Amino acid sequence: MTESRYRRLLALYPRDFRREYEDEMIGVLMADPRPGPAQVLDILGHAMLAHLRQLAPLPGDGWARSARLVQLFGALLLLAAAVRRVAGIPVRLLRGWIDHLVIDPVDLFRVGAWTVVLIAAVFGLRVVGALGAVAGLAGEIVGPGRYYLDTPAMVLYTYWVMAAAAVVLIAGLAAEPGRLRLRRGRGESAEPGAPGDRVVRGVVPVTVAGALLILHGFWLLLGPWQVRMAMPYAGLALVTFAVYRQAPEVRRRMVAWAVPVVVTLPLTRLGFGGFIEHNMRHPEALRLIGPAQWAALVLIPVAAFMAAAELNRRREATRGRERTGDDGEMAGERGFGVPAAGHVRAHE
Amino acid sequence: MTDAPMREPTFLVLTALAAEPRHGYAVIEDVAGMTGGRVRLRAGTLYAALDRLRAEGLIEVDREEIVQSRLRRYYRLTGAGERSLATETARLRAQATIAEQRLSARRTQFGGATA
Repeated sequence: MTESRYRRLLALYPRDFRREYEDEMIGVLMADPRPGPAQVLDILGHAMLAHLRQLAPLPGDGWARSARLVQLFGALLLLAAAVRRVAGIPVRLLRGWIDHLVIDPVDLFRVGAWTVVLIAAVFGLRVVGALGAVAGLAGEIVGPGRYYLDTPAMVLYTYWVMAAAAVVLIAGLAAEPGRLRLRRGRGESAEPGAPGDRVVRGVVPVTVAGALLILHGFWLLLGPWQVRMAMPYAGLALVTFAVYRQAPEVRRRMVAWAVPVVVTLPLTRLGFGGFIEHNMRHPEALRLIGPAQWAALVLIPVAAFMAAAELNRRREATRGRERTGDDGEMAGERGFGVPAAGHVRAHE
Repeated sequence: MTDAPMREPTFLVLTALAAEPRHGYAVIEDVAGMTGGRVRLRAGTLYAALDRLRAEGLIEVDREEIVQSRLRRYYRLTGAGERSLATETARLRAQATIAEQRLSARRTQFGGATA
């Protein structure tokens, strides 16, 4: 790769970070004989982390750890949602409700893509995870997007899934590396759920939540509707419990990651209520989503994430000051050089 | 900071700087040499670690040079960095000792045969 291409990539870092390290990094990148997708993804992921660290009050890997868990749990739930779309078909076939097995190729594609992301999340395969998540996101867009011109509301109803897929993709790029384990070995000690701890807590409840999501898809073929009504709440409670089991700094960041997905629900249901109603009442004159509405659909979740991360930062900064009794800026609070040492300029 | 174990790249970067002040690419080369090529840090990972370690006061800038029109900044371990690396080394040594003892007991138990 050329220097100008590397400089364009490094432009994704925060300005302070670039001012401090860009020239050095260019020298290292030009000397490194390993250009390619892995190098690009490494830069993209760490550029994102550098932005996130600006929002964190303390040095540490809380963002990278939370990103890894969001990638893992998100892939698990998106895989469950993908399996849900096809799992009921064999049951319907056995019950004689349908004559033959017909599975939408896009649904199968989504199952494959999220399976890849899930495996990559466990084994820490960043490139594979990114490619799988791009495929998964494409599948989540193409699935309802095929019917956009006939029923634009379908895109709105499933927009939260697209947002979740995008969050999993981004989180995968910012995720901490290394293989994860589901059980702790004997004699191992680490603060459970903290950055650097390879053992993941909360996989079982999230897996059960995924199983409930799948069952929810065709439960009415099997049992009473009251059970089906309770399933989403039980699933939500299980996922909440899994998040609660993480270390506090990781947990708070996981909530921030979830905000852009959660905010799409009121955004699409309330913000676009009139739009959906118009299309229901006037099938002869369908309205499509306009440029400003698309911008709102993209920018509001991003803004919500930034707001959640900023609230998190302020809360932790306040707590940090209370703990240390120091109301000044903590040394090296945000990285990008060391305030105490000052910025060291190059000399000729 | 938590008391969680140090991540491997962090440990390796500190170890590389424990020998002598090094610039970025020299750290990559030294880490690759130390690990027999198993770990070869990339620029994004390296500078994220260097920035964090500077922010935590574990390393600092030693000097800067311009080589072939490019900035080359050397980093060195601080006193805090030395203590942090020593603590992590002791932790790893303690774990390795336990593992060795158990493997040794296992070999004795099975008469030298591997299970």
